[in-house]
Amino acid sequence: MITSAPLPQQQTTEPYPYAGPVELRSPIETALRRVVDPEVAMSIVDVGLVYGVQVDARQVRVLVTMTSAACPVVDVIIDDIWAELSRVVPESLTLDVELVWEPPWMPARMSDSAKRIMGW
Amino acid sequence: MDARSHERQRQAHHGLVTAAGAGVLVLAALSLVVAVAGGLLRACPAPAPPTLPAWLLSGAVSHAALMICGFLGTVVGMERAVAARKPLAFVAPLASACGAALLILGEQGAGSLAIMVAAGTFVLVNVRIVRRQPAAHTALLLLGAVSWLTGSVMYAAGTGAPIPWWFAFLVMTVAAERLEMTRLTRRAPHAELQLCGTMALLVAGAALSSATVTLATTGTGLFGVSLVLLALWLFRHDIARRTIFSDGLSRYMAICLLTGYCWLAVSGIGWIGLAAGLPLRDMALHALGLGFIVGMMMAHAPVILPALTRIRLRFGLLFYLPLLALHVSLMVRIGFGAPYPLQRGIGALLNAGALILFAATVVGAAIAWRLSQRHPSRQETL
Repeated sequence: MITSAPLPQQQTTEPYPYAGPVELRSPIETALRRVVDPEVAMSIVDVGLVYGVQVDARQVRVLVTMTSAACPVVDVIIDDIWAELSRVVPESLTLDVELVWEPPWMPARMSDSAKRIMGW
Repeated sequence: MDARSHERQRQAHHGLVTAAGAGVLVLAALSLVVAVAGGLLRACPAPAPPTLPAWLLSGAVSHAALMICGFLGTVVGMERAVAARKPLAFVAPLASACGAALLILGEQGAGSLAIMVAAGTFVLVNVRIVRRQPAAHTALLLLGAVSWLTGSVMYAAGTGAPIPWWFAFLVMTVAAERLEMTRLTRRAPHAELQLCGTMALLVAGAALSSATVTLATTGTGLFGVSLVLLALWLFRHDIARRTIFSDGLSRYMAICLLTGYCWLAVSGIGWIGLAAGLPLRDMALHALGLGFIVGMMMAHAPVILPALTRIRLRFGLLFYLPLLALHVSLMVRIGFGAPYPLQRGIGALLNAGALILFAATVVGAAIAWRLSQRHPSRQETL
């Protein structure tokens, strides 16, 4: 695992920081939006669990968090991220999904639509 | 763009974890089966036959220990171990599963010791989780673990009243998880404080239940009051109030949760009635254990089972059938205060039927998911 980079705050225009080829930005975001937190029926992008995506010549690295350190579905969500990214990422690139706990997830990371659904 | 090699790597990474947990989960399931069979024997209004299999007698004698520690404790221990992502964390569910097996074999002393070891290890796992994320909900999970340990020490020592502590463990575990989910909503300013106060009452109730007779009655009453207050808190703050307007699995989970909270309140009334000298023991114990806790289990099984076993389920409307069966069977069992032993016996039999129906639904959902993988056009998985 690569040491986590500093992670900026959630922005309304960009759901998470992305660094890499422009042509992969949209397919990766679409893939990540297909990964759903089953209890709230919202994508992990809308819940604000994706902290960043970095693509270089060798790999795609995704930083994700969970709302709770006691969340048992963490591996299921990571499996889903792998499965969805595998569909859109070129085979020449390896995948690295890293679970991080810093900074802690905060409700402010939720997207505007997610907040609307949850009554903010 | 075919990247199946990625998928193969990921599957291989998790294969060992699944294999290690499978045996533990099989023992947990065995504990559930024996506990239910033993519970039916206890609820049977007719005199028991003179000769019964030893395992069935063990199931009747150790019904609560097998249900709460052997089954639910093992499953919750597995959940927490998966979340902790540390192999040593699996010692807790392994020990509680072994404890259940020993109890079934009639080894009461060794079984209760193994359960105590499980609860003690589970406390350490939760300390790690609190360190990773210091928050109210992780602290409450830790307090739940300490409650399990307290009850298990009493059980092993053969003193005090372990059952309120064991129930406190389960109630706090649910309350902590629901508290965590409320962070997704704009939570009322005093919600966390209200829940802390309610949990303090719960602990006080459990603690006093092991005291002298007069104080134990007060403890039982306090325990009931805290359950009613918790039900009101959950109705007021839980995100299920919003997710019930979604669809599919989320709506199903919300319905399970909200109906479970009704049983939580009913149970609280039962505990208060018990303190007042009314014959509501069955209502107090089983509205809580079956209506609330098993209701929560039915809510989360479609999400937790894949997390623990890597077996995916295809959610469908059939999941509502066992849920409905559970509620109807509980109404039969504890309706009108359940004055008749025959009524309780029939209700208990129907409760077991609801659990079997749920197990069949889960198996069917797992098969449906596998079939849907062969026909990708019909995929609508969890």
